Amino acid sequence: MNAPLLWIFTPIIAGGLLAFVNNNRISTNISGLTAALLALIAFFIPIDKALLLGAFSFKLSSSMQLFGRNFIITSNDAHFLTILYGITALWIFGSAVVGKARRLSSLGLSFIALLVASIAVEPFLYAALTIEIAVLIAIPMLASTNNPPGRGTIRFVIFQTLAMPFILFSGWLLAGVEASPSDLALTSQAMLMLSLGLAFLLAIFPLYSWMPLLAEETSPYIFGFILWALPTVTTIFVLGFLDRYSWLRNSTQFTEILYISGILMVVTGGLWAAFQSNLARIMAYASIVETGLSLLAIGLIPNQSTNIVFMLIIPRALSIATWSFSLSMLKEKYGDLTHSSMQGSARNFPLASAGVILANFSAAGLPLLAGFPPRLALWEGLAQSSLFSTFWLGLGLFGLMISAIRTLAIMVITEEGIPWKWRESLNQLILLGLSIILLFFMGIFPQAIFYPLLSALPGMFIHLGQ
Amino acid sequence: MFFVALVLVILRGTRPEFRFTWLIGSVGALIALLITLLWQTQLPLAYSLPQWEPSKLFAEPPAFLVDGLVFPYAIAITGLTLAVLLTTVAREDAPSSLAWAGTLLLGGLGLMAVTANNPLTLVLVWCALDIAELITQLGSANTPKASERIVISFGTRLAGTYLLLWANAVSVSKSTSFTFTSMPVETSVYLIVASGLRLGVLPLHLPYSSDSSLRRGFGTMLRLISAASSLVLLAHIPAMQESMTRNILLIMTIIASLFGGWMWLNASDELTGRPFWIIGMSSLAISSALAGNPLGAVAWGSALVLTGGMLFLISVQHKNINRSLLAATFAMSALPFSLTASGWQGSLPVVIKILLLVAQGMLMAGFIKNTLRPGTKTSLESMPSWIRSIYPVGIFILLTIQIALGFLGWDGALQIGSIGMGIGASILALGLIWLLPRIQTLSLTRTRPLQSAASTGIDSIYRFLWTLYLQLGKITQFITNLLEGESGMIWVALFITLFISLLQQEAK
Repeated sequence: MNAPLLWIFTPIIAGGLLAFVNNNRISTNISGLTAALLALIAFFIPIDKALLLGAFSFKLSSSMQLFGRNFIITSNDAHFLTILYGITALWIFGSAVVGKARRLSSLGLSFIALLVASIAVEPFLYAALTIEIAVLIAIPMLASTNNPPGRGTIRFVIFQTLAMPFILFSGWLLAGVEASPSDLALTSQAMLMLSLGLAFLLAIFPLYSWMPLLAEETSPYIFGFILWALPTVTTIFVLGFLDRYSWLRNSTQFTEILYISGILMVVTGGLWAAFQSNLARIMAYASIVETGLSLLAIGLIPNQSTNIVFMLIIPRALSIATWSFSLSMLKEKYGDLTHSSMQGSARNFPLASAGVILANFSAAGLPLLAGFPPRLALWEGLAQSSLFSTFWLGLGLFGLMISAIRTLAIMVITEEGIPWKWRESLNQLILLGLSIILLFFMGIFPQAIFYPLLSALPGMFIHLGQ
Repeated sequence: MFFVALVLVILRGTRPEFRFTWLIGSVGALIALLITLLWQTQLPLAYSLPQWEPSKLFAEPPAFLVDGLVFPYAIAITGLTLAVLLTTVAREDAPSSLAWAGTLLLGGLGLMAVTANNPLTLVLVWCALDIAELITQLGSANTPKASERIVISFGTRLAGTYLLLWANAVSVSKSTSFTFTSMPVETSVYLIVASGLRLGVLPLHLPYSSDSSLRRGFGTMLRLISAASSLVLLAHIPAMQESMTRNILLIMTIIASLFGGWMWLNASDELTGRPFWIIGMSSLAISSALAGNPLGAVAWGSALVLTGGMLFLISVQHKNINRSLLAATFAMSALPFSLTASGWQGSLPVVIKILLLVAQGMLMAGFIKNTLRPGTKTSLESMPSWIRSIYPVGIFILLTIQIALGFLGWDGALQIGSIGMGIGASILALGLIWLLPRIQTLSLTRTRPLQSAASTGIDSIYRFLWTLYLQLGKITQFITNLLEGESGMIWVALFITLFISLLQQEAK
């Protein structure tokens, strides 16, 4: 048995088979349990170490060859897999409660497995291909015969597909740079290709127009899943580049590009969010800000800021999950997510509305909520190098704060005499309640629960964060 | 207090008929008060929560410290919590055990806020208080206008919290860790504005609605704890240098103090005037902080909670209780050995001192006027004997604490202070009381134009901000339409071309 077979090909096959299961409940349970099991195995079973089970000896080897390409998953990647599959399991179980199980249970599992493949494949430039396949798999999740692909879906596919040739080219050029590092022209071309590829992949300003468009035309829950998984894995992919090439890591030009891109994303995402009147679009802009924060952290001090990047992962997942779950419920009841439709929704769906508001506040870095500790760390790290940049970060977060306060106002201000009522189902109340408690708990005790997992993540890289 | 609050909530859920919940709550508050008194034997007393990880990113863990500076706030809050619970029995709308649990919860949060030993801890507790207040207020808001005001108030206080975080960034940029003992002077202005913004003083605005349905008891607790948690920041601010910024802040503070004092003096009753009491007393605390007098800031802040708490909690008529209220005026007089004796220390120009003295006089006069007002309150004599025994205890606890703090227990005790200012404020207050019924121009009807003028001024600021917001919205909408419209791909292509040419130039 080997690790890539277990964490890449097993979920891909399981996802493929589940596509033929018509019963939503069975499909969700199998899919969710598979993801949960994979997370548990990643946490408990060591890779490349013999495990004695009574008389039996068992070893999970780290590599696997397929068509001359290697897929390598080492013990250093295990904690990341735990987080990735653990959160996927929660997302899949949640999909049953909001009625989106059909699309997420099978394709979601395959989507995650392909993203894992992008981190494991060697030579790494083939990651562009696996990400592209993942993007193509996402299309049936985002669109269906009843909900044909709109402009957002098409742009999503175009922009993500454009990333592939640039990354493939950059990989080819980088091999040349490794052979002759003194060739400045080649280095510059490689950097250009890489920057463009990453700009498309990470949806850097102004290449993120597909996000708010997609937010409006698809299910918030599925959209939230994509918004969480894709940028999280591509950020790790970027860190992989930096870790692999020392000239890139030490290039002030490249880190400056990341830094400026991060600032641009935070400021434009935050300010744009402040003026939106559709709650799903606000979530999209908040996700843009999140990616901007990761880039800012990487650009700040590449050798030291990986801790901040990893700290952002779980709060991002939690806030987007809570946000998209709540939005799905509200969209189901109100038809659309515009401010005019949402007027006074808190009186009828207090917990779902609280989920939207608190997730928005968490993204804006409100103290007490999960998003606060990593933002505080970034805030202080940035202030040490430049107060001017800190101001821009503050402006972006302030924009998100305004959007949260506007949403709060829209949801609570209503006609006179409308009483407060809980219209959420018991399952929805339990899930929302738990996620809100977790949002607070992670904001007050960021060192508890997940820190043991996060602290091991820098081990994925040889040079970064060591 | 948190534990007792939890017990009350569990009892409410499991045994709704249980008859001793009030007793449990009151005993819990009494124990909290006694423990707070015992802190005196071990001052300074420090406690830290576990360090946030990774520790290299977070220099300071959330921590708490009780010392001779913040002790008055701690004892004032525990005393107020007990007083609220003891006086609740005499109210017609005697609240449920959930309200008592809420009172204890607020008391606990308030205690955490005033003992916070670094700004990180303070912002966490501020947000907890803000969220608690938001939920409570929204639960009782019945009109769109009330809900709107609650959201605006919440947003304003968040702005204050973010200003404190900005002060953190300024401190870190100077390579100084941001703790209350090591804050650079450059952060003072942000800290004072942060506190003023949360209190409604800088710029002058009404953060709280005066017609809130939360009146005595829980409402008083909410208002005063919220104010104390913001005022405590003033005790830690490094002294500001004489500068244009300080002068501007002083002028704004004077305007707020005079406005608050005047409105309080002319309020139709004490609960309607409560927001103005908070603005007026907070202004005096802020002016002390601007004068480089943290003891004075603590003194005015504690007086706000203790004397205000007494007045706002009283819901029955009784001769001795009225006398005790008049005695409480001493605590806010700044006379020697009073709680506020240290209030006038620090360097301020004479003109400013005189203007602030006028504000203090109006606040004292308003306090006396509200005490002496022939009200429609129920007589204590008509209540059952056990209430007649317990109710006055709640009021006298607050009186005892404020008188005791003038003599012992903290760094500002046993102060002679500025005798002239104390006497001046007292004479002014008595003069105003004498003049009020005699001079028509000082009557209530004359205050309305002032109130509407102030609110018009504030409204015009909001209108300007709203217009700015709309204009910015139009710009962002224009860019969004460009990027998301049919021509969006062409704009993207243009961006890529620009990006490549910029990189090429950089490479050359």
